[in-house]
Formats: sequence, C-alpha cells, structure tokens
Amino acid sequence: MFEQWRTDEDMSHGFLVPVVILWVIWRERTRWRALPIEPSRWGLAFLASAAALHFAGALGVGLFAGSLAFLLSVAGAVLCLGGFGWLRALAFPFGLGLFMLPKLAIVYNQGTLPLQMLASRTAAGILTTAGIGVIREGNILDVGGHRVAVVEACNGIRYLLSLGFMAVVFGYLVDSKTWMRLALLVAAVPVAILANGVRVAAAGWLPSLEAGFPHAVSGWIIFVLCLATLMLLRQLFNKMYVHYRS
Amino acid sequence: MNKPTVLLFWAMFSLCLKAQITLGSTVDTFGVLAGSTVTSSGPTVVLGNLGVSPGTAITGFTGIAPGGPGLVSGAIHSADAFAGTAQAQLTTAYNSAAGAASSATVAGDLGGLTFTPGVYTSSSSLGITGTVTLDALGNSSAQFIFQISSTLTAANSSVVSLINGAQPSNVFWQVGSSATIGTSAVFSGNILAFSSISLGTGAVLQGRALARNGAVTLLSNTINTPAGLGGPPPPLVTPAPSSLILVTTALLGIFVYQGRNKLLKPFRTR
Repeated sequence: MFEQWRTDEDMSHGFLVPVVILWVIWRERTRWRALPIEPSRWGLAFLASAAALHFAGALGVGLFAGSLAFLLSVAGAVLCLGGFGWLRALAFPFGLGLFMLPKLAIVYNQGTLPLQMLASRTAAGILTTAGIGVIREGNILDVGGHRVAVVEACNGIRYLLSLGFMAVVFGYLVDSKTWMRLALLVAAVPVAILANGVRVAAAGWLPSLEAGFPHAVSGWIIFVLCLATLMLLRQLFNKMYVHYRS
Repeated sequence: MNKPTVLLFWAMFSLCLKAQITLGSTVDTFGVLAGSTVTSSGPTVVLGNLGVSPGTAITGFTGIAPGGPGLVSGAIHSADAFAGTAQAQLTTAYNSAAGAASSATVAGDLGGLTFTPGVYTSSSSLGITGTVTLDALGNSSAQFIFQISSTLTAANSSVVSLINGAQPSNVFWQVGSSATIGTSAVFSGNILAFSSISLGTGAVLQGRALARNGAVTLLSNTINTPAGLGGPPPPLVTPAPSSLILVTTALLGIFVYQGRNKLLKPFRTR
C-alpha cells in the first residue's frame, strides 16, 4: 500500500488516512475505554479469512485483495482481544480505512472512461453556457484551436476519492446525525464531478492555467471551493431538516 | 497443473497480450523510415524526422545530396546511430503488433466498414477502396491494430477516417510484406511494413511510413507525423493536484472551521 500511495497521485492521501484514523481513535478513547473486554472466537474466523484473502492476493488476485486482508486481520485481532463491542466502537475508523485501500482495478478500469467522458461533457457544457465556443471530439476539447485532452489522470477520480474522504471526516466532526453524514458523502460525488468539469473547462479556456504552478493552484482552489460547498450544503440540509420538523 | 492454476495463468497471459503497442521514443520522431532507400519525386513535405538504416540512399530532399524539392521539418538520418536505434525500435513495435491477441478477422476490402478499437487480423492481402472509418468511441487512447499477413493496398482517393477521438498515433498497420497507398488517398496511422511502402502522387499520410527492410517511395506527398517534430501539437494533459495536497489542505481547512470560534475570539472581544 505504501508503494501505491507513493507512486499513484490518486492515492497519495493514503499517507494521511492512518493518521486520521489514529486521531479518531484517540478522540474516542473515553468511549472505548469504558467497554468491557469480551474476547470472541469469531476473531479467529476473521483472521483465517484475512489470511486466505492475503494468500489469494499474493497469487495474483491483486493488491486490493491483499490490502483488504490487512484491514480484515486488524478487525480479527480487535475481535480476538476485545470482542464485538470494541469492533462496533471502532467501526468508523475501520470505515475510514477503506479510503486507503488501492483502487479496485476492475471497477477503476470500467469506470475511468465514462468518468473521462463525463468530465469532457461537463467542461464542454460549462464553456458553452459561458458563451465560449468549444468543439468536443470524444475526450478532446478544442477551444479556439487550444486543445485539451481529458486523459485518464483527469477523470476526476482524484477529486472523488479526496472529497469523499473529507466529506466523511467533516460529517464525523460537525454532525452526529447518521443521515447527515451519509448525505454529505453522497453530495460529495456530484460536487467532485462538477468541480473536475470546472477545472478542465478553466484549463481549456485559459491556456495560462494549463500547466505548471498556475494549473496546480487552480486545481487546489477549486478543491477548497468544493469543501466550502460541502459546508454550505450541510447548513442547507440542516435548515431543510428544521423546516420539515417544524 | 490443476484447472484453477491453468485458468489463473491464462488470465494473466491474456492480460499481457492486451498490453498497448507503443513505438519507441526514437522511432516516434520519424515520419519516414526505411531499411534500404528513401526516394521522393516532387514537392514532398515530411513533418518529422526522415531516415534510413541500414541502407544509406536518400534522394529528392533538400539538405542531402543530390538534393531535391522535398522538405523535411526535422532531421535527416542516413545510416547513423539514431536511425539504427529507430530501426531496432521499429522491429520491436512490429513484433508487438504482430503478436497482439486478435479480436476479429478481416478479409478482402475494408472500404465502407467501420471499426471500433481492437486487433484485426487478415490472413492474406487487404485492400481499402472508398472510406474506412475507425471509431474510438470517445477514447483517444484506444488503439486499432491491423495485422496483415501480406500486402496492404489503399486505392486511389481512398480515405481512412478517424472519428470520436481516434488518433493517428494509435492506429497500427502491421504489414507482412509491402504497403501501397494510392494517388490522392488520405491515409491515417502508422504503417509498419516488413518490406516497402509506396505513396501515390499527392497522397496524404497522417501518421508514419516505417519500412523495416525495403524502400519508402514518395510522390509529392504530405506526411504529418503525430506528435513528432514539426507535427501538430499534442493535446494537453490536465491532471489535478495530488490527493495528498488536496486532503492536507482540506484537513487544515476543516480544523480551522472547527476552531473558528477560538481563533476569532480575540478579535470579537476588542
């Protein structure tokens, strides 16, 4: 997993996920310290399943299987030592752990082209709405002779994973309602897709944003705006909730 | 060997066979490369490098004896190390294209047909009369590989049309013997011929004419090398900043948002 985080810029946030997990566990320490220690033999089943999965991963099933086996084995160890109460208490950190797993190749390979096309169409739509002439040919945008290719690395998966993770962390920190946490995670998907479309449209419209430092900064600013959008959405959802309850 | 192991090996073997064909970084810069000679008559324009190896003869171009009206936007390489490297890379690419797992067989004339990305095999000669369309289905990285055991003949005024993001650099015509492109034809893709390549008068090639052993013969042609020297600029790549930067920023943002009351307290009391 370390190698994946180091080499794949879609997954480099994986370095931060364990830090956030440890911080969440520390933050919840009073809760899990109060739990009784009731070791469960089911933990051994978890450990055996993890070992089988790891073996399959080593045989060639893939890095995802091996990494999932790691999470499963930690869950098994928690069950063996603390029992189901502890596992329930640590369910959220385990859920966060899913964000550090490598991309599942089958899903990624199937999803990357539709996402590229979606980003291309969104960017073309944004430019057309803004009155800027654009010709879209597949995943290539031609804005007045300036061509931008929405290649695999631009498919928006980076925004999706990063914003999805942040939506979960943000939901955990600011709201205790389960539906709100889920709503924020679901809202992160269209926000990330739209933001990626805006980013591609900006690179097509302003050639100065196409590469280097300005390009990195524009991508970064758009992501910060995504986060601000999530914060605004949370307030909106809360207002709607209060309105319907009253 | 038991059945699951055989299946596993077969799956891995299939994945290997589906690997994409790439030209080497040296041969990539050539619009025209021949094994024996490059001969041009009339005002041929080659956007990219031009070379020959192991042969030496290049005729019909400005900048190399005996001269001629032909123009090359890049460099001319005659049996030098650069051309030798390009030939070696051409052989590798040719063998990769020839060894790619076939997804369908084709025969006779491709005129009027539309192909989606894949590997198409012809056990004999192949012709193109009229227009053949290559549809990338919106994926500009999609490859089209045509494995032709014998000759490729594109008729006069025939067209290889690329649509929905198909790129000339991703089309490979692996020709077992020689390729002939007719007068005024508009052809697209990399021609990887075992023997020779001939272009008729006024034919336009959006791609490369790469012959391993024989000659490349040109007659007032335009050869536009994709992403090569002097070729059209490649589309730009626009990846987002790394997710580590994005999430670090967002975490800082959230902690500031959470601690905003504490942070703003000194300003409020004033």
